Amino acid sequence: MNRKIPEFGRFAEPSLLILVSLSNGPKHGYAIMQDVEQGTGRPMGAGTLYAALTRLEEQGLIEPLPPVDRRRPYRLTAVGASNLAEQLRGLSEFAQMGLRQLGRTSP
Amino acid sequence: MTSFLIRCYPARWRARYGDEFEAILEERPLGPFDVADILLGALDAQLRLRGHGVATQHARRFTMSLRIGGIAAIVGASLIVIGFALIGGRTEGSETAAGIALLVALAALLVALTGLSAFQAHSNPWLVWTAFAVTALGTVLALFAGVSDLAGVGPTDWRDGPLAIGVVSVAIGSAAFGIATYRGSVLSRKGALSLVIGPAIGIIGATAVTQNLWELGMLLVLVGIGSFLAGWFTLGVAAIRLDRTSALKPA
Repeated sequence: MNRKIPEFGRFAEPSLLILVSLSNGPKHGYAIMQDVEQGTGRPMGAGTLYAALTRLEEQGLIEPLPPVDRRRPYRLTAVGASNLAEQLRGLSEFAQMGLRQLGRTSP
Repeated sequence: MTSFLIRCYPARWRARYGDEFEAILEERPLGPFDVADILLGALDAQLRLRGHGVATQHARRFTMSLRIGGIAAIVGASLIVIGFALIGGRTEGSETAAGIALLVALAALLVALTGLSAFQAHSNPWLVWTAFAVTALGTVLALFAGVSDLAGVGPTDWRDGPLAIGVVSVAIGSAAFGIATYRGSVLSRKGALSLVIGPAIGIIGATAVTQNLWELGMLLVLVGIGSFLAGWFTLGVAAIRLDRTSALKPA
């Protein structure tokens, strides 16, 4: 069975950031925004957050938990964890290749 | 302003996300960047809110295969331990009970392998499915040999029958599955390593036994079996823990 990482178009990067944020436990939307801003130094808008959350939920990579007040936490599913590991591995290999090339060409 | 922005989203979207989205917008004052971002998000939702839920069904099947695989791995490893304990007990009927326990254990490990292979076949599919095929063949041969033995029609020396081929196939297949799992980095890498090391040590031990190095050989075989069982057990626990990430509390 061949299961590829879903295509998220321009929401690929926000989706990855959300998956990383959820990798250490469930969080509600605002906590994810704060986590991402803290980790990357760049804010993530609520529109972008929910566009990515919707896609991630549709793909079954995250799932909603019962809301606490009006805040609804989300958690990573097993499939989401598997996808995240695969994406991070791919990025790591790409980064290593870049660093190797840089090492060959830099003075 | 907030209610205007939320009304820009489709009604179906608002019914699902409206409350929580409003709660987020109330967390801090909205700047021009936020307003533009929300309007773009609303446009995106208007354009694409179709075909909801198809992929979720697909994902549920994967979660189910992970759960079944994890439980079967724990049951299989535990039954093998029980089988060996029954053999060691040497009471009346314990050998037959041990034989049945070991046969059920093999079947459970095959289920575990199927479930966990289906879950992680997207990475290293060739290696995962080769491991599955080799182990499945070995398990079927070992099951056939075990049933023949219980029925009293098997060969007098187990090394002459399909059991030997079956056990070696299960060992090699499990080791290949361990390598694929280790490379996949989703389930426990310690469990995967145990699954690779165990069969290797066991085969070295079995070779030593055939070379009349009985004590050393048997010691290695026992260590190999222990590592093999620990590997399956650890992978089973890891699969169930991965399936139950809900144990963590919301932030």
